[in-house]
Order: sequence, then structure tokens, then C-alpha cells
Amino acid sequence: MRFQKPVSIIGVILLLAVPPFLNNYYLDILTLALLYALLAVGLNVAVGLTGLLDLGYAGFYGIGAYTYAILSTRMGIPFWLGIPFGGIVAAFFGFLLGIITLRLRGDYLAIVTLGFVQIVYLTLNNWDTVTNGPNGILAIGQPSLGGFLLHQPIHFYYLALFFLTITVLVIYRLTQSQIGRALCAIREDSIAAEAMGIDTTKMKILAFSLGAGIAGVAGVFFAAKYTFVSPESFNFFESVRILTMVVLGGMGSLFGAILGAFLLTILPEMLRGLDLYRMLIFGATLVLMMIVRPVGLLGNRNAT
Amino acid sequence: MLLQQLVNGLTLGSVYALIALGYTMVYGILEMINFAHGEIYMIGSYLCIIFLGVFTGLGLTESHLLLSLCLSGILSAVTCAGIGVTMERIAYRPIRSAHRLSPLISALGVSIFLQNFVMLTQGSSDKVVPHLFSAQAVQFAAFPITPIQLSIISAAILLMAGLHLFVQKTRLGMAMRAVAQDKMMASLCGIPIDRVIMVTFIIGSALAAVAGVMVSIYYGVTHFTIGYVAGIKAFTAAVLGGIGSIPGAMLGGILLGLTESLGAAYVSSEFKDGFAFIILIAILIFRPTGLLGKRT
Amino acid sequence: MMFRALFLGFLLLFSNGCHKKAPEIVIGTAGPMTGDQSKQGGDIVNGVRLAVDEWNEKGGIGGIKIRLEVGDDQHDPKQAVSVANKMVNLGIVGMVGHFNSSASIPASSVYHSAGVPMITPGSTNPRLTDQGFKTVFRVCGRDDQQGKVAAQFAVQSFQAKRIAILHDKTTYGQGLAEEFQKAVLSFNVGAEIVSFDGITQGDKDFRSILTTLKGKNPDLFFFGGIFPEGGVLVKQAKEMGMTAPMISGDGVFDPKFIEIAGPAAEGTFLTFAPDPENIPSAKGFLQRYKAKHGNELAPYAIYAYDATNILLTALSQVGGHGMRDGKKVSEAIRNLKYDGALGRTEFDAKGDVKISPYIVWITEGGKFKEHWNPVKG
Repeated sequence: MRFQKPVSIIGVILLLAVPPFLNNYYLDILTLALLYALLAVGLNVAVGLTGLLDLGYAGFYGIGAYTYAILSTRMGIPFWLGIPFGGIVAAFFGFLLGIITLRLRGDYLAIVTLGFVQIVYLTLNNWDTVTNGPNGILAIGQPSLGGFLLHQPIHFYYLALFFLTITVLVIYRLTQSQIGRALCAIREDSIAAEAMGIDTTKMKILAFSLGAGIAGVAGVFFAAKYTFVSPESFNFFESVRILTMVVLGGMGSLFGAILGAFLLTILPEMLRGLDLYRMLIFGATLVLMMIVRPVGLLGNRNAT
Repeated sequence: MLLQQLVNGLTLGSVYALIALGYTMVYGILEMINFAHGEIYMIGSYLCIIFLGVFTGLGLTESHLLLSLCLSGILSAVTCAGIGVTMERIAYRPIRSAHRLSPLISALGVSIFLQNFVMLTQGSSDKVVPHLFSAQAVQFAAFPITPIQLSIISAAILLMAGLHLFVQKTRLGMAMRAVAQDKMMASLCGIPIDRVIMVTFIIGSALAAVAGVMVSIYYGVTHFTIGYVAGIKAFTAAVLGGIGSIPGAMLGGILLGLTESLGAAYVSSEFKDGFAFIILIAILIFRPTGLLGKRT
Repeated sequence: MMFRALFLGFLLLFSNGCHKKAPEIVIGTAGPMTGDQSKQGGDIVNGVRLAVDEWNEKGGIGGIKIRLEVGDDQHDPKQAVSVANKMVNLGIVGMVGHFNSSASIPASSVYHSAGVPMITPGSTNPRLTDQGFKTVFRVCGRDDQQGKVAAQFAVQSFQAKRIAILHDKTTYGQGLAEEFQKAVLSFNVGAEIVSFDGITQGDKDFRSILTTLKGKNPDLFFFGGIFPEGGVLVKQAKEMGMTAPMISGDGVFDPKFIEIAGPAAEGTFLTFAPDPENIPSAKGFLQRYKAKHGNELAPYAIYAYDATNILLTALSQVGGHGMRDGKKVSEAIRNLKYDGALGRTEFDAKGDVKISPYIVWITEGGKFKEHWNPVKG
């Protein structure tokens, strides 16, 4: 992957420079793509790097979003405090999920995570006193930078870019480190990894928590941008959507996750006319990907 | 009233059990969770309505109601068996030996595809079953059970007993058990693996189709989304009973149906769907092999 | 490769943005155009289009043609916000929509920030106008009005003593159920609410909850929700031998309800606006609508039609560059005394219609029939 460095630099320059020339509609789509890229990068930690099929990722996303939504509307907690709060609460649930699924094999793990996102959705939808149930929570506070309120789409675009960049840097360093290699080892053969002295338990929990934390932060961002959250946004299908991005882009590949997110956010918007067939194509794509190129577009056996 | 809730639960449980059998058998043989299995159930329910419509057009339903119902059921089962086999051939067989996650994701893709295919061809609103029975179902004297509920429960029991006998007493059944226990050894013994797998899918899909047919008649409507929720619950039932174990799937299904009905009645109707998942997680934490499961 | 993909993406986005420059007035409509409520969405579009076409035939507004943009929100709040943003970017000067309360409420924030007037033909949740946005209006009634009429009927005309309440846990359904409950209790005539519970949209098996309900011996049960669940509910209730009839709201008022429930639908009470067939001013609209779209019942098309006409009338009153000033147009709407298919429409300070007639209908002989009027009794 020799061209990675120059590609990323050009990519970042484009992402930084182009937006002021775009109108709000396109900015929105790009921002959404950045948000999903963030989510995909986070999911990639558990699924791509460590080989743990997490079907409940949207649950952490929702927990982050609702944590901030509730804190903001009931206690006036500002956005920049909401970010760590949302991230930590979500990471905590990731930690819990990691502990629950410790002894479980791949398929069982997947099922538990599926159950997790369902329970999160049901709780959000039914715990009226706290989450306002299906009505969702309105009028969530937006971020401000030293007195300046960020409310325009272009503000959120750069904010998303900021979060994504930081996360990518962190995860990149992680994959190059010992921890990253340990995670890959677990993915390839967890018994052998254990035999080599890797504490698979700790690593698995770390993978889950880290991924969950990222999702939590993404959730806070989501809540602040739309100023509205409702349970419908955080269900199993959302999990599947993010998973597809990771799979499509290449499991284990950081850039693959970002690519997958961009492709799967921008393409459906352009195909708005084919709205009806969108999910049909989605499903068929998943199957085809698995048959033709299970490692995804940019995926390979190594970390990036 | 408790009796009524028990009957409701048993009926629901029978449906879950029939679907669960498909999950458990496929898992036992391929060690793969067939996410698309729930959609077979959904397609079965749609096919039932479609075939009934055809028979009504032919005037058959007025004269021979029971016959048309049975015929619709059988035709649906056959068609769904075909779909199941095709599914296996196209989406699962090519990746059988690939990375662990691949079949799962492929199954997800098939599930999404089938759901949307039905939505596009059948419309996105409920499909209504033509009204063939009176609005007020007859109840048997003091015993609060309707004829439809009785049919569902008995059909389920008969089919499950039949399956059990088949697996235990026939050669093909024995082959299935062998493949489930050790695929490599079974193939070395000369058992045609691909054919056994095909039979597994045929039986599993047919059972799910029957469940779908009965549900169509029971509720009078169907929708392209019923496969998803029923699938997850049936899978929970299979895990509850011990995935890979046929009696386990039956037990799990009945138990889940009862829990859901009683839970909805006495605890909270709003959180009804949650019970299935809580049970699922609890089982997987405390007893991953399920109630009747064995370590394979 | 990623570079190429991104670059391609940017190019494609840009190419989509090139518009032709003929002068035109753009308005938008939005609702569930695909998915399970697509018929409702389609009805709304038909109503709006009819109005737009009529105006364009007469030369548009000030000689400029009107163009309609249609948005699909699939009654999902997040998509509604997306559609709203898109609409605003397309430069609409008014929105007739959305349809579901759960979509209209979040979308209204977007339109309000952008200064685009919004008139909904079918969102009945009180919160929409309670928010205090001066640019938001509705031509339909509110759930508190609807709930009150239903409660008045239940308590005074039907004289129920034990009432059970179910809802589908959505913004609309639960909201309506809560309004009904509030209203019943406010009448203070000793009517007892024996249960208040929720079902899940999309579910088909309500026997457990109905069994429990039946055990509480209600005279009447209220359902806040829409017709797919309403139909199955009433069907299973009858199958279980429950004699108490069901009363519900406008969400169940759809021919599909009768189709699903079959004979079990008989004797169900529903709140809805009076039959347009009986309103003299609606004749013209009904004729023209049926000529284009057939005789199938489309309860909301007439609301969409009137809402569009109100918007276009206000726009033409303001005229010129003022049409882009949402505040001016909204003021014009508020000051309008409009006589349309629904009769006379006037808005109050919040954006609700001043007179909102809800009456109680009943299903009889496989059809909906007007049954009880709160004013006349």
C-alpha cells in the first residue's frame, strides 16, 4: 500500500478545501459520509481487526446520542462535555458486552450483540420517562466554540472531519502497535494467540470498548447536528448498514472502512430515484461481496 | 383467563418451534446461522394467500374449503423448499469453507434481498387473507381454544414427531445426524454431504413454510416484515433449547411462546419483544449450550 | 483508489447541481411516498398536484409557473429532516407537508430556521403548533380536539362506564390515546379507565393483550394508532368473543381497515372530519379528483388540496420578491379567510384552524357512515 500516504494527503486536502463551494444539500451528504466513516472505523476495530462479529453496534451509537440528548435537554450540559460523557457511557456498555461475550464463539457472539441492539432499541422506545419514547427528544443543544454557535451545515462538516481525523490517527497508531498486532492475532486464531501469551480476554474487551466509545462520540455528534433523536435511528438495520460499509470497504482496513462509508452514503443519495430498489441492491451486494471478494475492496489479512 | 393465555402461548410457541427447527438443523450441519430462514417463513405466508387466491378463482374454496387450504399449504411448502435449496446453492455453498463471518453476512444479504423482493412484488402494505371463516371463531365449550389454534398446535406436534422419527429411524436421518456430528468423517464414510445438506434445507424450509401458512390463516394478514422478528425469536428458541438439538428447538419454541404470552399479559405488553432477547442473553451467559444441548 | 473514488464522488455531486434557469416558483410536498403508508403519501401528492395544475392552467402566479418538488420521508424522523434540508436547498417558497406527526415535528424546525412556511394536511399532534413557530400551519385538526370528541361520544352518547385504552407507541398513536384519556377523565362522570397499554407497530398477534383486556370487562376500548394494527386488533377481539366495540381516530379511517378486519369491522367508531360528499363546497374538488384518480377513498387528498390553495393564494397576494420572505407569506396565510373545498378555513395565532370539526363515524355494512356530531348530539 505504497500510495496510501499521498492518497490520504490529497484526500484530506480535498476534504478541507472543497466544502465552502458546495451548497447545504451536498454538505449534508458529505457530513453524513464523514459520520458513517467514523462509525465504520470504530466498528472495524471489533469486526475487522479482531474478528468479532458485532451486530449490535448501532446500540452504542444510540446510547451515545441519547446520553447527550438527555444531558443536554435536562441539565443543559454543553456539547464539548457531552462528547466525553457520551463516549464513556457507550464505552462502558461496550465493556459490559465484552464481558458477557467473553466465552462465546463467533456465532453466539453475533447473536448476543444482535440481542443487545434490540434491547437498546426497545428500551429507548419504551422508557418514556427518560427517553420520551417514540416521540424522541427535541431541541438538543448545539456546540459552541468560544461563544460562537455552530449550527450551519458547513460548521458540522468541519466538526465531523475533525473527529474523523483524530480517530483515524489514533486507530492508525493502534494498528501499528503491539495491541493492534495482538488483535489481528486473535482474529486469525485466538487459541494460538492465547498460547503465545496474548491476554485475549483483555484484548477483546478493549476492542469492544474502544469501538463502542467511538460510536458513542458519533452518536453525540449526530444528536447535536440533527437536534433530534428518536429510537428508529438506532436499530438492527442501522447496525447492518455500518457493517456493510466495513465489509464492503475491506475488513481490517482503515481506509477500507472510510471508503465503504463514503460509497454507501453517497451512492444511495445519487440513486434516490431507485429508492425502491435500494435495499434490494444492498442485500444482493452483501451476498456478491461474500462470494466474489470476501475480504472487501481494500481488505487484506494485515492491519491496514 | 390463565388457561386462555396458556393456549395463546402454546399456539405462538408452536409457530416458533416449527421455524426454530430449520435454524437448529442448518446450524447442526453447517454451523451457520441462516439469517434468511425467517424470510422463508414470511414467503410461506404470502404464498398461502396467493395460492388460496388462485383456488378461489377456480371456485375451489367454496366447495372444498379444507382441500384448498391443505393444497395451498402443501404447494407453499414445496415452493419454499425450492427457495431454500436455491438459497443454499447460490449464497452458502460457494463460501462454505471461507472465513467464519462470510456465510453469516451472506445470509444477512439474502435476508434483506428476499424481504425487499417481496415488498416490491407484493406491495408494502399488509396482504389480507380472504375471509373464509366467520368473524367469531367457535370456542369449544368451557375450554378456551379456537379450531385454528387447535390445528396449529396439533399440526406442529405431528410434524415435529414426524421429524423426530425421520431423524432417528431412517437412513437419511442417520446420515443427517452423522454429518452434524462430524462432517469430515461422514464424507469419508461415503455419505453424500451436499445431498444431505440439501435435504436439511428442504425440510427446514418446508416446516417454516407450514408455520407461515398457519400464521396467515390465524391472523388473517401478513406483511413482508414478519420474517425478521419471528426469525430472531425462533432463533432464540433454538438457542434456548440447545442449538443443534431437534427436541431442543421444539422445547425452546414452546417455552418462548409461553413466556411471551404470559409476560405480555402479566408483566408488560409494551416490552413483549424484549423478553425474547433477555432470555437469549441470559441463556448465552449462563448456559450457552441451551437446555437440551450437547457440546459438539 | 480511494482518491479516485472520492474525486468521482465530488464530480458526480457537482454535476447534479446544474439547474436550468427558467423562472419558476417552487413549492414542495413531502410524506411517506414509499413503504407501508405510501398510499397516504400518494393521496397527498395527488391533492397538491391537482391544485398546482389548476393554478398553472390559469397562468401560475403572476404569470410564472409553479413547480412541485416531491420528497419521500417514509415517516422516518431522520429522513424527514433530510428531505426538509433538501427542499430548502432547492429553494422552495412553501411546503405542503409532511404527513406523519413524527416527521412533521422535526422537519418543522428546519423549515422554520430557513423561513419557509409549512402547512401540513395531516399531522395532528398538538406539539407541532405548540412549538410556537410562526411559519407552521395545519389544515387538519389536533389530537386534543380529536380526543375530546371521541371522549365526549364515549361518555355522553355511548355512556361507557369502563373504558380500556391501547396505543401503538408512536408519536401520533400514543399522543392521541393520552388526549383521549385526559378528556375522558375531565368529564368526571365516573367513567373508569380500566387499562392503558401499548402494542408494537408491525406486530400481528394481540391475543395476549386482548385476553387481559377482556378480563377487565370494558364497555368500549379505544385504540390510538393506524389501520394495519387497528384492523387486526378488532378482528382478533371479535374472534375472542369480545363484545366491546372499538373506537379509534383518523389513523384507522381507511378502507384498508375494513378489508383487513372483514365482518369484524362492523360497529367500530372512528373520529374524522365530516364527509366531504356532504359538504357543498367540496363537490367541484371531488368531481375533478375522482375523474383523475378514480373512486377509491382518499381521505387526505382534500386537505392537501386546500392547503396548497391556501399557500398559493397567500403567495400570490404577497407577490414579487416578497414570496421569498417566509414571514410575509406566513402573515398572509394567517390573515386569510379562505373558502375552499373544506369550507371556510381560518388560522389562529398558533397556526391551527379555528374551527375544527371532528365527528364520529361508524362502520356499517362494510362502509364508513357518519354517526354522531358533538354539536348536534
